Amino acid sequence: MALDRDPTAGSEAQAPLVAVEDLVVRFPIRTGGKRQFITPVDHVNFTIGAGEVLSLVGESGSGKSTIAKALVRTVEPNHGTITVGGLDITHIGGRQLMDYRRNAQMIFQDPFGSLNPVHTVEHHLAFPVRKYRRAGRAQIDYEVGALLERVGLTPISEMRVKYPHELSGGQRQRVAIARALAANPALVVADEPISMLDVSIRAGVLSLMNELKRDLGLSYLYITHDLASARYFGDRIMVLYGGKVMETADSRELLRRPTHPYTRLLLAATPGNRHRGPLPEVSNGAPDLVEGRRGCPFAPRCPAATAICSAEEAPTVEVSPGHSVVCHHTET
Amino acid sequence: MAQVQPVLELTGVSVAYETPKGPVQAVNRVNLTVMPNEIVGLVGESGSGKSTMAYAIMRLLRGNAGVTEGAIRVLGEDIYGMDPKTLKKFRWNKMAMVFQSAMSALNPVLTVEMQIIDTLRVHKPEMSRAEAQRRAGDLLDLVRIERKRLRSYPHELSGGMRQRVVVAIAVALEPDLVIMDEPTTALDVVVQRSILDEIQAIQAQKQFSILFISHDFSLVSELASRVAIMYAGRIVEIARGDSLSLGRRHHPYTEGLLRAIPELTADDVVIEGIPGHPPDLVNLPSGCAFHPRCSAVMDICRTVRPEPIVAGETLMECHLFTKQEVSESGS
Repeated sequence: MALDRDPTAGSEAQAPLVAVEDLVVRFPIRTGGKRQFITPVDHVNFTIGAGEVLSLVGESGSGKSTIAKALVRTVEPNHGTITVGGLDITHIGGRQLMDYRRNAQMIFQDPFGSLNPVHTVEHHLAFPVRKYRRAGRAQIDYEVGALLERVGLTPISEMRVKYPHELSGGQRQRVAIARALAANPALVVADEPISMLDVSIRAGVLSLMNELKRDLGLSYLYITHDLASARYFGDRIMVLYGGKVMETADSRELLRRPTHPYTRLLLAATPGNRHRGPLPEVSNGAPDLVEGRRGCPFAPRCPAATAICSAEEAPTVEVSPGHSVVCHHTET
Repeated sequence: MAQVQPVLELTGVSVAYETPKGPVQAVNRVNLTVMPNEIVGLVGESGSGKSTMAYAIMRLLRGNAGVTEGAIRVLGEDIYGMDPKTLKKFRWNKMAMVFQSAMSALNPVLTVEMQIIDTLRVHKPEMSRAEAQRRAGDLLDLVRIERKRLRSYPHELSGGMRQRVVVAIAVALEPDLVIMDEPTTALDVVVQRSILDEIQAIQAQKQFSILFISHDFSLVSELASRVAIMYAGRIVEIARGDSLSLGRRHHPYTEGLLRAIPELTADDVVIEGIPGHPPDLVNLPSGCAFHPRCSAVMDICRTVRPEPIVAGETLMECHLFTKQEVSESGS
């Protein structure tokens, strides 16, 4: 991948498609009548190049879905900036936001919930074509056919008239992908798009997303809890924990040289790994997301943690070009 | 080898659902044995019949579902020949089950302690309350949850803790067989791994058999000594867990599943899905149900259903294999 756009790498040849700087999203919660804030996304920075796939890996509560929501702006950030294609979209609204969303489409985890059970496949695809391409009836007909062909839902004439309940999980997810493509986006945010599909079907959907990247130059933010598919589909992987970035690297590099203690834990726990013996963690609590927490969110579970870890923010250390680790105890 | 009585023995078991579209054969003449202390994996995609099989073993099928043929024996006793009273005692004392969704397996209005004590006292009426209370604490120790959690309600626990409580309740009466139906599917990978480690440790300590149902191939092959692979209601292969890698000869469906998982650390990852989609059980393909998706399909596959070839503890149901080949790859 020619487009390695890690801001820490220093080369500014061409601006990345997506640049997220110092992103903070906080939500109010109520604990015992007291109003508090949690920060599911806490000062996160990343970029996605044109035609690049960034995999976001983390457990539930790591903030990965909130980042996705901020990126398609169904959530408004509290701090920081999100720039997509040169446009600052952090606080846009109205017409501008609608125009932006056409460029940034989302694919959801649950293909049963994301399609309307009372509408046919054709209806699901014709709507965005009409809305975004301002096409006439014949044109819409043609475009819908082309989209179905593009995502491998053939024979087209049969598929058009089907309702979601007549489709398998994999086919539904293909409809969701076709619907995203209908808007001609530059960026696709895919939130766990294969985790609810059968194993034999997953590979096909991933391959389709890969083809679309190659043929249409799409960029993806690929959200997953599974390191194996993050590695397979992603050019780079960013590991999140408790709303903070722990480690970012080229996919192969990350699996070959996992450096952050949390990445190592995640890797050790992933099925298919040769790791045997106890997991490298000292406790198994969930991260503290309450605003005002100090230090590294992983510190309570980290086998390498020392006093400084729960007192001070960890520095970002670049262990090799494009491979950065946010940890007090990184050896360079 | 001396004759050891299997803990679980299914012979020619079929389960059918009555539906408006006609009867659906969800499990089709399945043979499977689980030996004492053995962990057997059962892998299949959604709709392959794996959960239906689990419910059939527990005699929990309800409404429109029923066992239509075959026999299910646990510790040599026919589950379907029992009167309800005996069955009630047999369940949980001899065989227990861990369900996928811990939230719905636990009663939201009872504390953890009350649920464990309930289970103990219903199935062992002679146990005193004090004794049950003591046991409840021991059980939490076993699954590594602090004892103060006895007073917690399910909603106060994390997903991982809830599933640990469910495991604790399943092993509470030291059963000989525990059926686990996707026990860690809804959990994060790190939590999943630590629970699996605990299940293995408890199994080694308490010595019971597990039928572990999952759709996750790599997870099951690490855990189980043998893995049964189900497709469209049939067990198409039973292989040794450690043989489940590419490069060994397997059923085309098993090989397809192996190819569909990206390998974690290999340098060049190529994955390939299985073409087509899982079959409609109302309208099963003729011959071998997998033939429309099979890359090695032959003429015979379209018309004749292959018979299972049993070789020792392994099984193969595919026209590509001869009896000799199966016993060679199985030994």
